Amino acid sequence: MVNLGLIRRAWLEMRGPTIAFGLAAMVVSTMIHFALPRFQKSLEAFQLPASRLMNLNNLRSAMLGTDVSNAAGREIAAGVAWSHPFFLALVFAHIITVCTRVPAGEVDKGTMDVLLGLPVSRLQLFISETIAAVGTSCMVIVLSVIGSRIGNSMAPEGMTPDLGRVVMVAAVLMLLVAAVGAIAMLFSTITDRRMRAVAAVLMVVVASLLLNYLGLIWEPAKKAVFLSLLNYYRPIGPLGQGAWPLRDMAVLGGIAGAVWLAAGAWFSRRDLSTT
Amino acid sequence: MPESVIEVAGLTRRYGQRRGIEDVNLAIPDGSLYGFLGPNGAGKTTTIRVLLGFLRPTGGQARVFGLDCWRHSRRIKDEIGYIPGDLRLYPWLTGKVALSLFGSIRRRDLTAKGRELAEMFDLDMNVKVRRMSRGMRQKLGLVLSLAPDPRLLILDEPTSGLDPLMQDRLQDYLQRAALRGKTVFFSSHTLSEVERLCERVAIVREGKIVADDTLGELKRKAGHEVEIAWRPGGSRGVDVVPGLVLSTRTDVAWSGMFHGDVRSLMRWLGGLEVEDVVVRRPDLETLFRRYYEVEARS
Repeated sequence: MVNLGLIRRAWLEMRGPTIAFGLAAMVVSTMIHFALPRFQKSLEAFQLPASRLMNLNNLRSAMLGTDVSNAAGREIAAGVAWSHPFFLALVFAHIITVCTRVPAGEVDKGTMDVLLGLPVSRLQLFISETIAAVGTSCMVIVLSVIGSRIGNSMAPEGMTPDLGRVVMVAAVLMLLVAAVGAIAMLFSTITDRRMRAVAAVLMVVVASLLLNYLGLIWEPAKKAVFLSLLNYYRPIGPLGQGAWPLRDMAVLGGIAGAVWLAAGAWFSRRDLSTT
Repeated sequence: MPESVIEVAGLTRRYGQRRGIEDVNLAIPDGSLYGFLGPNGAGKTTTIRVLLGFLRPTGGQARVFGLDCWRHSRRIKDEIGYIPGDLRLYPWLTGKVALSLFGSIRRRDLTAKGRELAEMFDLDMNVKVRRMSRGMRQKLGLVLSLAPDPRLLILDEPTSGLDPLMQDRLQDYLQRAALRGKTVFFSSHTLSEVERLCERVAIVREGKIVADDTLGELKRKAGHEVEIAWRPGGSRGVDVVPGLVLSTRTDVAWSGMFHGDVRSLMRWLGGLEVEDVVVRRPDLETLFRRYYEVEARS
């Protein structure tokens, strides 16, 4: 079922983007986890009027995807950092790059005939790509966790969240990345053009971000917010309560699994060759 | 009769409304050098892609080593070396890395054989594909497909980009491989190399096989090319012998095709005022053109 040569090939292709995105995510994570706790601390020093405090809470709630009016400053700072759009953009860019390579990228480049001319089954190819995508995504997330700890180490005292809780956030983030990756694989399987697949999955991610944001500030959008992938990634929960968000994890895992199976089924049946 | 390595029956493949191949029938015996001829867009590559399990047939059957090409594609490819017509390789590969990588995918060590082939093709295995010329990339593709020493070689326009010396080396290698019992399925639109290399050819036109036979038999069926140069006034009042179809007829020269016993042609010529005569079997190029012209007319 697993062909180590195929995994090696995937790694040789993915290592450049993985190292680049991983280091970028680490640097950004370091900076955000260094700066946000300081900013949060300085905010707490001010006595803001109630109306302005409410506005600020709304803004942070929208960003974190949950009500933060009762959360402590340390959790809010870490929560904002873990759901910062710049950081998420890097993580998503990596998984989209990796998961649109086969088959759309291969067909686009014209290398599909050589790859599929080798004694490999489509299932082997699909599974090898999945293993490589999961492995490289883990690397990017681990580097992000390392970056967060480096940033936190320079943060004011009492602003560093517990490592166990950060690991929980990282695990939920991994499931979110898996869901985005599975969607990218599905689009890559459906189309022969990599840019089309990238555009389609970007639309899903941007729509999720938008829906998640609108759901918190606009009543009609609340009913549709369950459709947003980001609705199930709420770092403030595990950071504040220290409990696994099992429901969110089940939804993200379910989406990732179902879409991955659909992509695999399509991949095994479709025509594949350089056009 | 040797067992058929490739058996194709009524194979049809369409791309929506567009024609791919239609009702293709082939039986390629084990250990043969088989030429698959046709111009670009005739359906050669589509046939090959169905054989390798890239495309699912719309109708008919395609079997390699007795196994269904779509369902048992992986097992079949274990014993196939394939080079695509429009070869593209990963730009970050060097020859050495490619050999090691393809070896690990095939789960066998290709290093020694690959090195030997690289020497034969005069290829530097340390250069990255992105820095290679078209000919070098083609050589690397050949090294990678020949190195496993597979039972069946499916080569789609394998000599494109190769200089004549390398073409000769490849042809020699393929002839030796056939002597060792390997089967070579050689797709090309370069007629001279197919004529030199292959024992049997199929000609494909607009998705259909229009001829499939040994070269000798195709030539026999095609008859003889005849060129007659007449002495002054020699052709005046001469009736054409039965079986001779003229394509050119002037007072001093006739040319055309003769179908029938060549001795009757000689007897007829013996009694005429002939300056010079050429009678020969047509070469593959002439045959090929005739199949295309005849088909186009019909």
